[in-house]
Order: sequence, then C-alpha cells, then structure tokens
Amino acid sequence: MANTALPRKMAAANGARRAAAFSEWSDRHFKWLLVAPAVILILALSIYPLIFSLVVSFINYDFQIPGHAFVGLKNFRQVVFDPVARWSIVLTAMLAAANVTIEFLLGLILALLMVKHFRGRGLFISIFIIPLFISPVIVGQAWALLLQRPFGPTNYILSQLLGYDVKISWLTESPWLYFAIIAADVWQWTPFMFVILLAGLTAIPQNLYEAAELDGVGGWRAFWAITVPHLAPMMLLAITLRLLDTTKLFDTIFIMTGGGPGTKTYTASFYLYTVGFAQFHISMATAGSWIFLVLTLIVVTFLVRRLLKAEQTA
Amino acid sequence: MNSRQRRDFEAGLAADVDAWLRGKPTRREFIKKFGQLTGMLAIGGGILPAFTQHLLAQAATDLADPSTPLGQAQALAVKASTEGPTDGSAYRATQAAKQYSGITINMTYEVGLQALDPRNFSGPLWEQLTGIKSNVVELTNPDQYSKPVAEHIAGSGAYDVLDVSPGWTPSLADGGVIAPLDDYIAKYMNTADLEDYHPLYRALPTYKGKVWGFFDDGDMFALYYRKDIFEDAKLKEAYQAKFSKALEVPKTWEDYAQVAQFITDQMAPNVYGAGHFRKAGNPGNQFDFLQQFRANNGEFFNNEMKAQLASDAGVKTLQNMIAANAASIPGNNELDAVSLWVAWLQGKVAMIYSWPPTGRMTAGYSQSDKAINFVPQSTIADKVGYAVVPGNPEHAAGYNKALAADSSNPDAAFLFMQWATSPPVSLARVMLPYALRDPYRLSHFKSELYGQLFPTAKEYLRNLNNSANVGVLDMIMPGAQDYGLSLDRMCTAVWAGADPKSSLETAAAEWDATTERLGVDSQRAFYQEFLKLPGATAANTVEKLGMAVKLD
Repeated sequence: MANTALPRKMAAANGARRAAAFSEWSDRHFKWLLVAPAVILILALSIYPLIFSLVVSFINYDFQIPGHAFVGLKNFRQVVFDPVARWSIVLTAMLAAANVTIEFLLGLILALLMVKHFRGRGLFISIFIIPLFISPVIVGQAWALLLQRPFGPTNYILSQLLGYDVKISWLTESPWLYFAIIAADVWQWTPFMFVILLAGLTAIPQNLYEAAELDGVGGWRAFWAITVPHLAPMMLLAITLRLLDTTKLFDTIFIMTGGGPGTKTYTASFYLYTVGFAQFHISMATAGSWIFLVLTLIVVTFLVRRLLKAEQTA
Repeated sequence: MNSRQRRDFEAGLAADVDAWLRGKPTRREFIKKFGQLTGMLAIGGGILPAFTQHLLAQAATDLADPSTPLGQAQALAVKASTEGPTDGSAYRATQAAKQYSGITINMTYEVGLQALDPRNFSGPLWEQLTGIKSNVVELTNPDQYSKPVAEHIAGSGAYDVLDVSPGWTPSLADGGVIAPLDDYIAKYMNTADLEDYHPLYRALPTYKGKVWGFFDDGDMFALYYRKDIFEDAKLKEAYQAKFSKALEVPKTWEDYAQVAQFITDQMAPNVYGAGHFRKAGNPGNQFDFLQQFRANNGEFFNNEMKAQLASDAGVKTLQNMIAANAASIPGNNELDAVSLWVAWLQGKVAMIYSWPPTGRMTAGYSQSDKAINFVPQSTIADKVGYAVVPGNPEHAAGYNKALAADSSNPDAAFLFMQWATSPPVSLARVMLPYALRDPYRLSHFKSELYGQLFPTAKEYLRNLNNSANVGVLDMIMPGAQDYGLSLDRMCTAVWAGADPKSSLETAAAEWDATTERLGVDSQRAFYQEFLKLPGATAANTVEKLGMAVKLD
C-alpha cells in the first residue's frame, strides 16, 4: 500500500503545482486574453486589408481582365496620366479650401454671437447643430430637391425676390453647381466649426476681458489680442478635422451631380469610387487610393505639427 | 433554460462581473459564465434565423383576385406547373425539381421593385410547388456584376441563379463565373419554348455557340405621346401653316426635335414638347446616344478597333440631342428616369421615350399596387398613344437569368430558371403591377389576358413587339461599362456647353484607351461576335434580317 500511496501523493502534489503554475500564468496573462479580440479585429479589418491593398496596387485585379499578374507601376501610371484623376485632385483641393474657409468664418461668427448668455440661447444652439445629425446623403438629396429644375422651389423664390425670371440650372451649369455643392456642405458642417469654437471661446478666462476693459482696450483689439491667441489651438483643431473630412467629399456629389456634367464635379473620392465600383478596375482604384493617401498625409502632417506647436505655445 | 434558471444565471453573472470589477478572484467563474453566454448566443443565433426563415416560407404566395386577368394568368401558371401539358417546360421543371425539396437556392436580383417578384410571387410559389426554398439577394445594378465575380474569385458558391445584364455575358462566360446551359436544356427543357422568344431576344444569351442564360426582361424603349395634343385641330393647323406638313408623331430625330419645339412654343409653360432623363450618372444619355448614333448609321469601331464616335454620325447625333434638349421641359438635363415619369404622368410633357413600365404607369395599372405608390397617379391615362422611337429604339439593358458556375445545386437552380422563364409562369410575372419585368415572349405580346390589363394594353403590346422588330442592342462585350461611362461624361459635358466635336474626340480617346487596356485583338473578337447578333446595328435589325414578327 505504502509503495503505491507515495507515487500517488507525489503525482497529486505535481498536479497541484502544475495547476498553481497555470493559475499564476493565466493570472499574469489574463489581460492579453481580454485585449485579444480587439487586436484580432484590428489585424483582420485594418492591417491585413492595408497590406493586401498595397499588394493589389501592384498586380492586375480587374473584374474585366482575368488573372492577377504582377504589373509593376502600371496601375499608378494609369492614375497619374489620367486627366480625370488630376482634375479630381485639383477640385478636391479647391472645394476643401472653399468649404473649410466659409465654414470656419461662419462658425466663428455664430460662436461669437452665442458665447454670451441671453434668453433663448439654448434653443438657438440646438437649432444650429441639427444639420450635424443628418446623414450627408439626406443632405444631398434635400439640396437636390430644393435646387433641381423643374420641381425645386429655388428659382421660383429667387424670381419672386429679384423680380425677373431666374432660370439657373444649379446642378448642371457651371459655376452654379460648385456654389450648390459648397452651399450643401457649408449648411451641414458649419455647426461643427461652431460647436468646437464655442467650446474654445467659453474656456477663455473672463478676467482677461475684464482687465482689458479696465485698461480701455476696445472690442476689436481684445478680439485680436485675447480671443484669437487663446482660440488658436481650437481653430487649428477644427480646421484640421474639417479639412480631413472635406477631402473625402463624396455623398453630396454622388446625390446632387453624379460627378457631372462631364467630369466637372469629380472629387478624388468620387473618382476612386467610379474607377473601382462602376468600372471595376480595382487595382487602379487601389493605386489611386495610395497616391491620394500620400498627398493627404503631407497636408495632415503639416497641420498636425502646427497643431502640436500651437498646443505647446498655449 | 427556463426563466428561473435564466434569472439565476443572470444574477450569478452580474455578481461575478461585480466581483471581478472589484478585483475579487472569480476569474474562472467569470470565464465559465461568459462561455455559457457566448454558447447561448451562438445557439440562439443559429436557431432563430432558421426558425424565422421557416415561418416566412410558410407565408402564402401573393396571388391576385382570380377574377382579374392577373389572377387568371397566375392560375394558369400554377396549372401548367402541376397538371401540364406534361411536355411543357414549367411542368417538367416542377416535376424534376421535387427531388431537391428542402434545399435553398440563392438568387441575385436588383434591389427594390425587381426583387418583389421572387419575394412575393415566384419564390413562394416555387417553394409551394417543389419544396425548394429561395433566398433573394438584393444587389444594386453594378453589384449584380461585381459581387458574382468577387464570389467566384473567392470560390464561395454564394449564388446559384444570377440576374445579369446581357451585356455582361461574354465577360462572365469567359471568366468562368457563369455556366453554359446546353446540357441542362437537353436534359430538362422543351426546346420549343425557346422559339417563343422574340427574335431580338432569342440570341441574346448566346455566346460562342453556347447558351449562357434565359432572357427575362424586354427593356425596349418606346415612344409615348399625348394623342390629345397631336389631334388638336388648332395645333395641327398651326403646324401645317408653319412647316407645310402635317403634325404627326415623329419618325426621324430631326422631326422629333422640330415637333417638340413646336409644342413647347405653343403650350409652355403648361405642357412642353418633350422630356428626357439626362442627369449625369443615369443611363439615359448613353442609351439615347447609342440608339440615335446607329440610326444615323454610326459604327462603334473600325477594323483596327479604333473608336468611330468622332464622325459625322456622332456630330449629327449630338446636334439632334441638343435640339431636343432645347425643346424640352426646363431642367431636362437634371432629370432621372423617375423624375421624368413624374413630369409625364402629371401631363407636363407631350412625348417621352423610356422603358416599358412607362405604359403601365401611364394607364395607372402599376400604381394599383402599394409597392409602387411613390409614383404619382396618372392624369393622362386615356390620352396616350404608343409609337416606335424614331429610327431604331434601344433595347436598354434587360436581364438574363444565368446559372452560377460555382452553384452547389446547379440542377435545382437551372430548373428554377427554366420554370420562371417558361411561357405561362413568365407571363404571370410580367403582368405583376409592381414588377419591372417587361414582356419579351411572343406569347406575352399575343396574350389575351395581358391585353385585358388596361384599355390600351393590346396596342401597348403591339408597339413593344414592333419596337423589338427594329430595335438595336446595347454593346455586348467586355468594357461595356467603361464605354457607356465615357458616353455619359461626353453627353453631360455637351449639355453643359462643351463643343460636341471635341467632346466626341475625348470620348473616342477614352474608348481607345479602354480597348487597348482590354486588348485590341481580344476586343475585336468580342466585337465581331456582337455584330453577329440581330439588332447589333441599324443594318441588321430583326426586320432587316426578315425575321420581323407581325401581330396583326
């Protein structure tokens, strides 16, 4: 009995030690178990597609041409030498500049108006930010309905106001179609600027303005000497975020103009969509996306550096 | 797990989570409960959809009142499937398919109204007849091409039956995405039913001597005009005085623009001469250009496969289209197909050319179903005449039912295709008020039941048949999407003021680039195949080939 009991005890002791070691190991590594799903998701949905897209941009991946042969830089060349691609980048830059500038100025004016407390301020702010909650597709559709001839009311209202027959084709006639696209974007995204700038304004210490008032500094000078420097980081943040977003402008273009007339309203996103999902040249669209990403990165890097510098200064 | 057990479990889990958050050593319990919860979700997630699907499958087929023409057509479809004639394709398909009872076939359909037929009628009826379930996958039109290709590359076998544009057949066939049907036809079908297709449509699914699908949607453009305006005595007199000829429904594109301009001059702003769907990104521009270009004897490519758009025919086509635009309703260049229908149904335009649902909407038949009540009621139901589009009307898109090469149930999938496109079943389908499937079989055009759908239905059917006799086809070759996109860009640029000749040259350069990208020799071979089809050019329409179908 003794001969068999000893090994059994030893085995039991070994088992307990192993269980304790495993328990200790699992205690130490339990955190990894918890983050593993997130890591796996990021790897599967972000890192792998990113690497795969890089591969695709160097091979033939076209739903009209069988096979996936290596083609070197051909896909990139096709994009670079496509006049539509070049125009789409120019238009994207122009629309981004116009949209962000107007939205910034309007947002700032609204924020300055709303920074002081008055009766009904909350209601006004609520109304101003409503467009932020609407899908860009719906915004595009609403503006198209307002502007589209012959059913939209815009020309009728303008005719009544101006006293003569207005016959503008807002969605097909240059330069009005650009005004229409900018108007839709400004209507939706000015509130974004407004909210961020209002938050920045309310964070400026009031005693600075009181001291300036005691020193006889006027409102305009106080704006440049106090408001602008203190608000600068928020301004830069708002501009950076909007600029990033505007470079992706697609939804309103798709709904309002369909990229036309001709290719006049092809933004970079619309161009890439057309090449990838209307013509099915997936590898060309992927190469174009990488080119566009690099161009965007240059702008973003510059802006982020300025942003960090402004934060350090503040 | 009963409710008490579930309550205990949840209470225990909550306590464990709280304890875990407080840092107490209950990790194993937590993992155990978490595993149980995940298991429950997995099991529940698996059971619930299957259960829901079963319930949905039990839903009755959406059948019309048996006293109506549609109800009678549906009853005939059921009878042909269950009682025969026993040599009919519908009966053969139903009987042969019963051995596959219990399986599910996955079929792609265009998202929206198109998918209502398999969801409400043909899918449930097929299940009732054979026990085969159907899973309708709704896709946008471009995705009806790209998704099957992507799934084929992945080898997923996700689809069994594909709804594809005839223009995609060569690409899909050569890419191995779809399978030839010849062996299945020989095994299951009464081939006499193939002769029931209008000659324009009969050859559409054929490519390199094989059959790659069943044609299933006669998307023939036709001209719809306001009879009351064309018969107005004062207008006729004024037109005669101005042009020294009678006011008639136009037969040439020059006449079309002239008549439209005359009506606009006389009746605007109450009524305008014409309307077109010219919005960028809509297919209206390319379809209209393609039909008029060929009516003007234009050729797409020369022997070297160089695009011939920038020719006299191209310039003349654009000039005619510009003249028609100028004579049209304000905002003509911003309209899509639905907006144009709205203007037409409200009596704002005197002439439009569009797809066959125009006739059914005009008569107010389509709007009898709530699914299509977003289209306004017709104010012109008894005022409309039908005519062939000047020159040669475009067969604009259409659909083939094709068999996915990766289908795991190819026989069952084929039998559904055979059954759905068989004469009696397809008749019931093209008569559905909400459907966008349009008549394409000779038996459809001759159908007494269809002729009773609305007062002028017989005249409408006759006109669709006559249009098919002289109709021209979309380009059926790889790159069709690219060629079409170039035309759309060209047209909309011209509408915005660009020079027609230089726009034609730009489009021709884009066509050449597309051809070179796809391979000149390969594209030449495809183009030669396309030219063999009746309706490829204005010189080889069904009528010119002596195959015209006369219904009178």
